[in-house]
Amino acid sequence: MKKIILVIIYSFFWRNFLKIFIGLKYINRKTLKNKKQFILIANHNSHMDTMAIMSAIPSRYIHKVHPIAAVDFFGGSLLNKILMRYLVNATLIKRDRNDTENDPIDAMDKMIKKYRSLILYPEGSRGSPGIMTNFKKGLAYLIQRNPNIKVIPVYLNNIYKTLPKGRKLIIPYNCSIEFGEPIQFRSFELDDILSDSEIALKKLMK
Amino acid sequence: MNKIFNSIDLTYEIQWVIAIILMILVFATLLFWIWSLIKPSRLVDEMQTRTRSWWVMCFIFVFASIVNPIITYFALGFLSFITLREIYSLLSLREMDRSVLFFCYLSIPIQYFLAFQGYYTLFLIFIPVFMFIIIPFLLVLTGETKDIIRSMCILPTSLMLGVFGISHLALLINFPEMNSNGVSGKALLLFLIFITEANDIMQFVWGKIFGKHKILPKVSPNKTWEGFIGGVISTGIIGYFMGFLTPLNSWQLILLSSTIAIFGFMGDTIMSAVKRDFGVKDMSNAIPGHGGVLDRVDSLSTTASPFFHMIYFIIITS
Repeated sequence: MKKIILVIIYSFFWRNFLKIFIGLKYINRKTLKNKKQFILIANHNSHMDTMAIMSAIPSRYIHKVHPIAAVDFFGGSLLNKILMRYLVNATLIKRDRNDTENDPIDAMDKMIKKYRSLILYPEGSRGSPGIMTNFKKGLAYLIQRNPNIKVIPVYLNNIYKTLPKGRKLIIPYNCSIEFGEPIQFRSFELDDILSDSEIALKKLMK
Repeated sequence: MNKIFNSIDLTYEIQWVIAIILMILVFATLLFWIWSLIKPSRLVDEMQTRTRSWWVMCFIFVFASIVNPIITYFALGFLSFITLREIYSLLSLREMDRSVLFFCYLSIPIQYFLAFQGYYTLFLIFIPVFMFIIIPFLLVLTGETKDIIRSMCILPTSLMLGVFGISHLALLINFPEMNSNGVSGKALLLFLIFITEANDIMQFVWGKIFGKHKILPKVSPNKTWEGFIGGVISTGIIGYFMGFLTPLNSWQLILLSSTIAIFGFMGDTIMSAVKRDFGVKDMSNAIPGHGGVLDRVDSLSTTASPFFHMIYFIIITS
């Protein structure tokens, strides 16, 4: 049931809406095909980012892909939580790691162990356009625990212009979403993982 | 399905034009295919991509123009929409212009609705009079006056380029005077687009073969006097032979086609200059080999309204 809802919303509505009305171009989307499990890392400037990425995912396993969102921003009311769970397929996590029982890394790790794929914004939150801030360490912890998972960089070019931070009106703008090849990490040291993924994403920016 | 196709009343003339278009496309495809077998080069590759795009564009256009007129209106409105989107994606507009852009897009359905209803006067003045006042006022409402002159000039002008010109194509379809006494709006539409695109191709071909003296070396190095004059003359000749689509006599036809050729050249150079200012070669890469949609319809946006008003003048005075 959840899969049908997600397929209708993303593969049918959002994909066509973004393609025809907004003018979004999907570049190298075939890299997602035939990959069972992956982590997508992307730059984050707008709420449209998640819609664009979710609309690009093949409908066959869209129900197994979970965008990661912050519980303090999106999990305000019960209605919000239900909408996030069923319409965005999101997993809500905490931003900090003070509470050992609800550790965000553990929560994400659990999803991966259940053969789910994740969409992560390693910058933490919506930054200012064009400037990439340093990646948060959570991504590296997650990859250290699951070294075999494929990490695919996704570059969202100009999508923020359709719906900038703090605006409510969606305006068409020719933009593109580009998928890279899975990252080969030099080693699974914390710093190497972070810098490798940053370099991979910046390579797509050119 | 029946409803979509029941209005296909392909007259003898329109069937002929479609046949001619198909023959030209087949001829071009075969020519470049043989050429690429004998002597492969980058120019031939580019020509082949262009021809492939022409196939797609002609198919869409012929389909959109022979089915139910309402689909034609939607197709032309969508063309305006893509053109505007291309312009606004290249302009680095101010953040607060976003809400005004919404009203610019909103003028497309209004303009095409006026064309559909045939409200001639309102159609003519909606953009040049109303939008030229309303849009600057909406910009003022945003409250930020820094760089406001730039936005005030650009946004209404973009509507003239992207909406006003192209919507004259839609006005041709069921305008009362254009659809009586043996005159067919659809045939006139086909004539205009055929002439404009033939002029583009002819200027390109003449310029490639004989081009020596540049007209505007700074703006568009590909445009030459030889290409321009050859294009205008051959467009006049083509217009003369395509005259069976129109109610005009021979000298009117030749004069009209040559004027269209000159206006097409103007539109082409205007867009070249705009692109040069943006620092890009093509508006986008929507059509392989041609660049953006605006690169293809640039001449159409300046030929449509002169053509309409000249034809209108000739029809009501004769």
